[in-house]
Amino acid sequence: MIDETRLIEIKGVSKSFGDTQVLHDVDLYIRKCEFVTLLGPSGCGKTTLLRILGGFEMPTSGEVLFEGKDMTGIPPYKRRINTVFQKYALFNHLNVFDNIAFGLNLKTPEQLGVKTKKEKKAEIERRVTRMLKLVKMEGYEKRSTNALSGGQQQRIAIARALVNEPEVLLLDEPLGALDLKLRKEMQLELKAMQQQLGITFIYVTHDQEEALTMSDTIAVMNGGRIQQIGDPKRIYDEPKNAFVADFIGESNIIDGVMLQDELVEFCGVEFQCVDEGFGAREPVDVVIRPEDIMIVGEDVGMLTGVVESVIFKGVHYEMMIRGNDPDGIRWKVHSTTMQPVGTRVGMTIVPYNIHIMHKARTADAEPVAESRNKEA
Amino acid sequence: MRNSRGVRTFRTVWMALVLIFLYAPILVMIALSFNASVSRSQWTGFTLDWYVKVFHDPSILGALRTTVEVAVIATVVSTVIGTLGAIGMHAMNTNMANVLINVSYLPMTTPDIVTGVSLMLMFLFAKVPLGKWTMIMAHIAFDIPYVLFSVMPKLRQMNPNLYEAALDLGCHPLKALYKVIIPEIMPGIFTGTLLAFTMSLDDFVISYFTSSDMYPNLSRIVYSSTKLGVKPTMYAVSTMMFVSILLLLVLINRRTKLEDMG
Repeated sequence: MIDETRLIEIKGVSKSFGDTQVLHDVDLYIRKCEFVTLLGPSGCGKTTLLRILGGFEMPTSGEVLFEGKDMTGIPPYKRRINTVFQKYALFNHLNVFDNIAFGLNLKTPEQLGVKTKKEKKAEIERRVTRMLKLVKMEGYEKRSTNALSGGQQQRIAIARALVNEPEVLLLDEPLGALDLKLRKEMQLELKAMQQQLGITFIYVTHDQEEALTMSDTIAVMNGGRIQQIGDPKRIYDEPKNAFVADFIGESNIIDGVMLQDELVEFCGVEFQCVDEGFGAREPVDVVIRPEDIMIVGEDVGMLTGVVESVIFKGVHYEMMIRGNDPDGIRWKVHSTTMQPVGTRVGMTIVPYNIHIMHKARTADAEPVAESRNKEA
Repeated sequence: MRNSRGVRTFRTVWMALVLIFLYAPILVMIALSFNASVSRSQWTGFTLDWYVKVFHDPSILGALRTTVEVAVIATVVSTVIGTLGAIGMHAMNTNMANVLINVSYLPMTTPDIVTGVSLMLMFLFAKVPLGKWTMIMAHIAFDIPYVLFSVMPKLRQMNPNLYEAALDLGCHPLKALYKVIIPEIMPGIFTGTLLAFTMSLDDFVISYFTSSDMYPNLSRIVYSSTKLGVKPTMYAVSTMMFVSILLLLVLINRRTKLEDMG
């Protein structure tokens, strides 16, 4: 599947617009056939990074290598990269067929592997038809793009980019405008297409669930810096700092003190954990996912508290539990069994579900740029 | 809110009065153009003679040709300059661009007589003899804002990623301009063309100051004839001008409405 050769290398890329710096010294490499997601809140620089890859913006400093060659300064129309834009950007004056054929029409017959103009026309028709089938839009060739629904327009935009057989496909929040059900369907379809075609996808989104569903690798971004790079499971289970833990899924993040290797104290209680290598009595952030807290009888719990609120979320109940410790920490707990408001409960957490993180040195962004973990 | 009968009657009468004051003069002129008598005070029967005469009068036909020629050339040139100018100013995307756009709209609000006199002074200063070409240049100058005015909103409505999508799919910038941007704003360009053409046909004051009696257009002929006593052929000419401009305006109006819905 994923080839180990590095297709794209982003080296020390920074970007400023006027006085605002939106990217700080970003390092990232992308392997052939990989599905990489740039994930982060709006304004984190993820779209700017994508636009630099597409050739629509120039980095202020740093370089972008494509197969080892510097591609800074190469205009978009000379890159073997195509883009699916956020609001589709279909050409309304052309019908569905001509939208998809747009890129192919600009190529010479030789570039399409045929000799004459007539053969080119037939080749274009063959490729467009195949692409329409891939995005499940057969029979829509002659339709006007205005007459299509949002989901259909999205499919045409994807087909228009993919038909050029790019090395890399850039997708800028392509599913943002679709409703939830359609979005989930398209996520699976996009992933399937990517695997079937063996094209590198670089995907921008602020939706952490989308990122976890589709990606081989996620780069979490905030404040113009990459916070963490890793596969979805690693990012979810072992967030590197409080920002990542908070952004990826829901978390309880509590102040704690590391007593020794594999022993942490928070809420006045000592807990066994699996982390080591911290300094003695080092203050740390402790992350515990809401689904990892088990509700037990008050007398057997490691921690105790009182249920303050209960919300039904479909698969589970989300409960807020006020701890009985002096600070009265509010725990977010997911459970399939409901405890009525006011119930006094106990809570236990198994050691490998307690995740310890170094305290971030600044409030908003970890200044240390993340570089990629080899074992990921 | 319910109105009493009296209020409703008043409203209808008021409306009718407004319409009469606005359109009665034109209706009288149209009626007179079909009057068999030369006299303005008596109706002696319906005739199309004056219309036939118009098409046999070499001076009127010459003026018609001048009017159409000036309008066509000025419209084509101003459409090209206006469209490219709009695209350029739109792409500037700075505070300066906004100032520039507003300044280019200014001629629309300047009184024709000011525009006409100042253009005439400019031509005289530059020692360009007044004639057909000075008139064409003047028309180009006052047509351009109308093209800008129609094209600019289309550019603002356009998805900003369209140009980038064209580059992304392999167009170099110039190709992206004519393969994607121009077709996308075509409705606005076409409306601008119609407006410019209408304004050119319609114009008297600016043409009067920037041309000479050697190259009269229709409005100049009508104006000159008033000095010698108006002949009914002039009513026929004016009626035809009125109707053709009315039709153009209806067309522009319908287009604008369609675009607003689309």
